[in-house]
Amino acid sequence: MDNVIEIKNLTKEFKVLNRHEGIKGSIRDLFSRDYKTVYAVKDVSLNIKQGEIVGYLGPNGAGKSTTIKMMTGVLKPSSGSILVNGRIPYRERTKNSQEIGVVFGQRSQLWWSLPLIESFKLLKEIYGIDSKHYDEMMEFYGTLVDLEPILHKPVRQMSLGQRTLSDILASFLHNPRICFLDEPTIGLDVAMKSNIRTLIHAINEKMNTTVILTTHDMGDVDALCRRIVIIDKGQMLYDNDIDHLRKFFGAYRTLKVRLKGDISENVKEIGAVLSDRDVTVSSDDEWISVLVNEDKCRVLDVLSIIQKDHKVKDMQLQEISTEDVIKKIYTEGV
Amino acid sequence: MNNKGLAFYIKIYGRILAQDLKSKMSYRADFIISMLGMIFTDAAGFITFWIMFRNFSSIQEWEYYEMLFLYGFSLIAITPVQCLLDNNWSLRINVREGDFIKYCFRPINLFFYYESEVFDVKGLGQLGVGVFTLVYAWIKLGLGCNVMMVLKVIVFLISASLFMMAMQNAAAATCFWIENSFYVLDLAFKLKDYAKYPVTIFGPVFRFVFTFVFPIAFIAYYPSLVILRPDNVPLLTWLAPPLGILFFYLSYRFWMLGAMKYNGTGS
Repeated sequence: MDNVIEIKNLTKEFKVLNRHEGIKGSIRDLFSRDYKTVYAVKDVSLNIKQGEIVGYLGPNGAGKSTTIKMMTGVLKPSSGSILVNGRIPYRERTKNSQEIGVVFGQRSQLWWSLPLIESFKLLKEIYGIDSKHYDEMMEFYGTLVDLEPILHKPVRQMSLGQRTLSDILASFLHNPRICFLDEPTIGLDVAMKSNIRTLIHAINEKMNTTVILTTHDMGDVDALCRRIVIIDKGQMLYDNDIDHLRKFFGAYRTLKVRLKGDISENVKEIGAVLSDRDVTVSSDDEWISVLVNEDKCRVLDVLSIIQKDHKVKDMQLQEISTEDVIKKIYTEGV
Repeated sequence: MNNKGLAFYIKIYGRILAQDLKSKMSYRADFIISMLGMIFTDAAGFITFWIMFRNFSSIQEWEYYEMLFLYGFSLIAITPVQCLLDNNWSLRINVREGDFIKYCFRPINLFFYYESEVFDVKGLGQLGVGVFTLVYAWIKLGLGCNVMMVLKVIVFLISASLFMMAMQNAAAATCFWIENSFYVLDLAFKLKDYAKYPVTIFGPVFRFVFTFVFPIAFIAYYPSLVILRPDNVPLLTWLAPPLGILFFYLSYRFWMLGAMKYNGTGS
C-alpha cells in the first residue's frame, strides 16, 4: 500500500517575545527584541498509508493542531519535509484541499443559513463532484444515518450532534483520500458519539479513506483506531498499534477488593504485607485497588496474601484501559 | 484557484445568493425592518441637503440638485460594498476567535469563499434610494439623456464602487496584523460620508488626503464631473477606472497576504 502522508523531521518553531511583568515590563516589551524560540512541533517523522485510521493523540498544547495545519497546507513548516498525496501542501494548497476533508468538532464549515441539502449541492459544485458519485454517496449515507430529519433543516437550527454528523458527511462527500477529524465527538451525548463512530468506520471501510483522528475521548480511539500516534511538547512519544500499546502496558492488572473492617486500617495493613511485591495500593470509597505488574508477581498470589488476614466481601479484576495507558504516557512518558 | 474561471464563481455565487435570499425572506419582519432602516437612513441624508439648501443657494458653485446628484451617485457606488463585502465586518472576530481557519480548506479562492457567505440585502434599499435620487437630480438639472451618458455613468459607477470596496478590504484586512482593527474599519466606513461632497470645498490638505490617501473623492466627485462639468473634466477623472481596478486588486492582494499569514488559534 502507498503512503498518503509522508512526514520527515518536521519542525515548526515560533518566535515568542519574552514578556516582562508589571507596567515597566510592558513598556520594555514594546521595544524589546528579546525573543525566544518555542517549538510547537519538533522533529516529527511519520508515514501513513491509504485506508488507515490513525488516532493522533496528545495533551492540550502538544502540537496536534499545528501538525494538522501543516498537513492541510495552512501553515508552512520551519524545516523538514511533508508530502500529502505526493504534494507539498502549503505550496499547492488549493490542489491539496481538493483531496482532503477537514472537520472541526466545534466549528461547522457548512453554510449557516442553508438547509443541509443545499450545502451538499454547493459542495458538489465547488469540488466538481460528478453526479453519479454524488448520487451514490447520498444513497450510501442514507443507509448509514437517518437523513430525513436533517436534510432540509438549516444548519443554524440543528443540534450540536446533527451539526457534527452533517459536517462529517459533508467532509467525505467529494471522496477525499484523507480526512482530518479534529475532536469530532466533543460535547456529544453517548448515543450520538456511538453513531458518529459507526459512521466514520463504515465510510472508511467502503471508501478506503485515510482518517486522522484527534480526540481526547479514548472511546473514539478504542472504537476506531488500530494505530495511535502520541505527541507531547511537540515531540513524538509513541507510534504503534493499539494492541502493542495494550501489550506494552497490558502486563498491568488492577485487583479491586472490598474487605470487612475499617478501610483506612486495611489499606495500611495490605500495603505493609505487600511492600516487597512491587505493587501500588490505593483506595476509593470502599474499594481497595492494587495495581499489579503481572510480569513480576501474579494477581492470584496477591489475592491469597490478602485473604490470609482479611475476609474478602467482594472482588473485581480489571484490565488496564486505553485511557489509563494514555494517562500514564502523558504524565510519565513511555 | 486559477483553474476555475469566472463563470464557475458566478454560478456558485448565484446559488448561494438564491438560497440565502430564500432563507432571509423567511424571517419577514427582520427583512422588512432592516430594509426600511437603511432606506430611512439614506433618506435622512437627502433631507439634510434639502434643509441645508433652504439656507444657502449653493456651496462653492455647487447647487442643490448637483449636490443631490453627487449624493445619489455615492449611494449607488456604495451599494456593492454593502451587499457583497459585508462579511468583512465579521473578519476581525473570525480571525481573533480562530474561526477563520474553517474557510481555509476549500479548493476555491479564499477571498471569494469568505465574502460569498454573506449578502447584505439592506444594500438593495440603499440602491433604491440612490437610483431615485440620481434620476430625480438628473431630471431637475435637465441634463438630457443619450446612450453615451448612460454608458459613462455606468462605467464610472463601477470604478467608484471599486474604490469603495478597495478601501473597505484594506481596512478589514488590517485585522490580520493588529488586534483591535475595528477602528480602522470604522474610520474607512465613516470616511465615505465625505464622499458626497465636492472635494473642492475642503482645504488643500484634505483635498490631497481624500484624493491620494483615502481616495473617497473618486467615489462620487471625480466621476460625476463627467456628467456635471463635461467641459472641464480633470485628468484624474479619466484615470478613475484604471485606478479603481488597480486599487481593488492591491486591496485584494493585501487581504490575501494577511489570510495566508493567518494560522489560527489552537483548538
